[in-house]
Amino acid sequence: MGTNLLDADLVKRVQAGDTGAFDILVQKYQHKVINLVGRFVSDQAECQDIAQDAFIKAFRAIDSFRGDSQFYTWLYRIAANTAKNYLASRARKSANYTVDVDDAQHFEGESGLKEYANPENLLLTDEIRATIFRAIEKLPDDLKSAITLREIDGLSYEEIADVMDCPIGTVRSRIFRARDVIDKELRPLLE
Amino acid sequence: MTEHNEKLSYLLDDYPGENPEATLDEVIGDVNLQYRMRRYQIIGDAMRHDLPQAIDTGFHQSVMARIREQAVDSPEMSTESSRASRLNWLTLRPFAGLAVAASVALVTVALWQPLKQESGQADDSLASAEQQKIQQLARQKVEGGAVPVSTRVQALGTRWKLEHEMPGLQQKLNAYLVNHTEYSNSVQGLIPQARVAGFDAQQ
Repeated sequence: MGTNLLDADLVKRVQAGDTGAFDILVQKYQHKVINLVGRFVSDQAECQDIAQDAFIKAFRAIDSFRGDSQFYTWLYRIAANTAKNYLASRARKSANYTVDVDDAQHFEGESGLKEYANPENLLLTDEIRATIFRAIEKLPDDLKSAITLREIDGLSYEEIADVMDCPIGTVRSRIFRARDVIDKELRPLLE
Repeated sequence: MTEHNEKLSYLLDDYPGENPEATLDEVIGDVNLQYRMRRYQIIGDAMRHDLPQAIDTGFHQSVMARIREQAVDSPEMSTESSRASRLNWLTLRPFAGLAVAASVALVTVALWQPLKQESGQADDSLASAEQQKIQQLARQKVEGGAVPVSTRVQALGTRWKLEHEMPGLQQKLNAYLVNHTEYSNSVQGLIPQARVAGFDAQQ
């Protein structure tokens, strides 16, 4: 598989006017897009804003997406361009921007307006990571191998079946069971 | 419920199963399934070290809220209407091309006509002036009125009187006119006398 049929289906739905399908795409790619933007912009709050802009641009332009490339490739290109444009406009602004010495103590800049990377969020994210890895450590070996081969190595069900020498149905079941066990630990943190 | 969760897991791995449309409908219509899908996504991202420094749990809600706001502010942003307008444009594009070509042709003809009229008008005005003169002369002849050469000649008939009294005068006058043709402002080559031709009404 690996042809991103889910993405293609969701894109078709968005193009037909189903905004709920775009919500799924945002949830699926938000972390990857934020990380990509983070390679251009170090400030976490700015990353979030730029990532939001990138998703909105993608939504506006989704009718022009013809499926010649994968959706995520297209989305990443939009996100990278949005980040580059942001940096260019910030460079232009800072060249013409001065802060009075008396006002400097009150000046926080744009990044101070929204606090995504507040201590609570940073702590929560650390806790999420720790919880997930703790849960994976506690998994039985067959479930741990199946979920690792899928999520980290990116193997298809067929390839995992070859590696683990078991039917594809078993692979599907093991991956789901692994997710379900980890989710039980994770869920209280995100509710 | 486990069956739904299992289907969701396959769907995330791009194994849509027997009825992917129905599964997707369920996910889009069920908030709990969406939360679960997001947690499954977080598990994968955390394992690949793709999680950002700080997870914003309301990120997708903020994006969708902004999309809805902008759709309300500018209705043309909605996907339906933008697709419809693009379809309209695609349908009308050949006609628009024709319309542009027709407009260019019309403007060209409209500009060319006055130019033609201007250059033609100069010729026409010369021709009509000549025509008017001829007509005027012809009319005067028909009416029987003599073309006045000079008031002196017309009033007293002195020309004929002088001709009778001094027979060589007419010949002298003719010779003078012929010899001084080059000073005339009339078209060279025409008989200069023609310009002063006339006869005394009292003859």
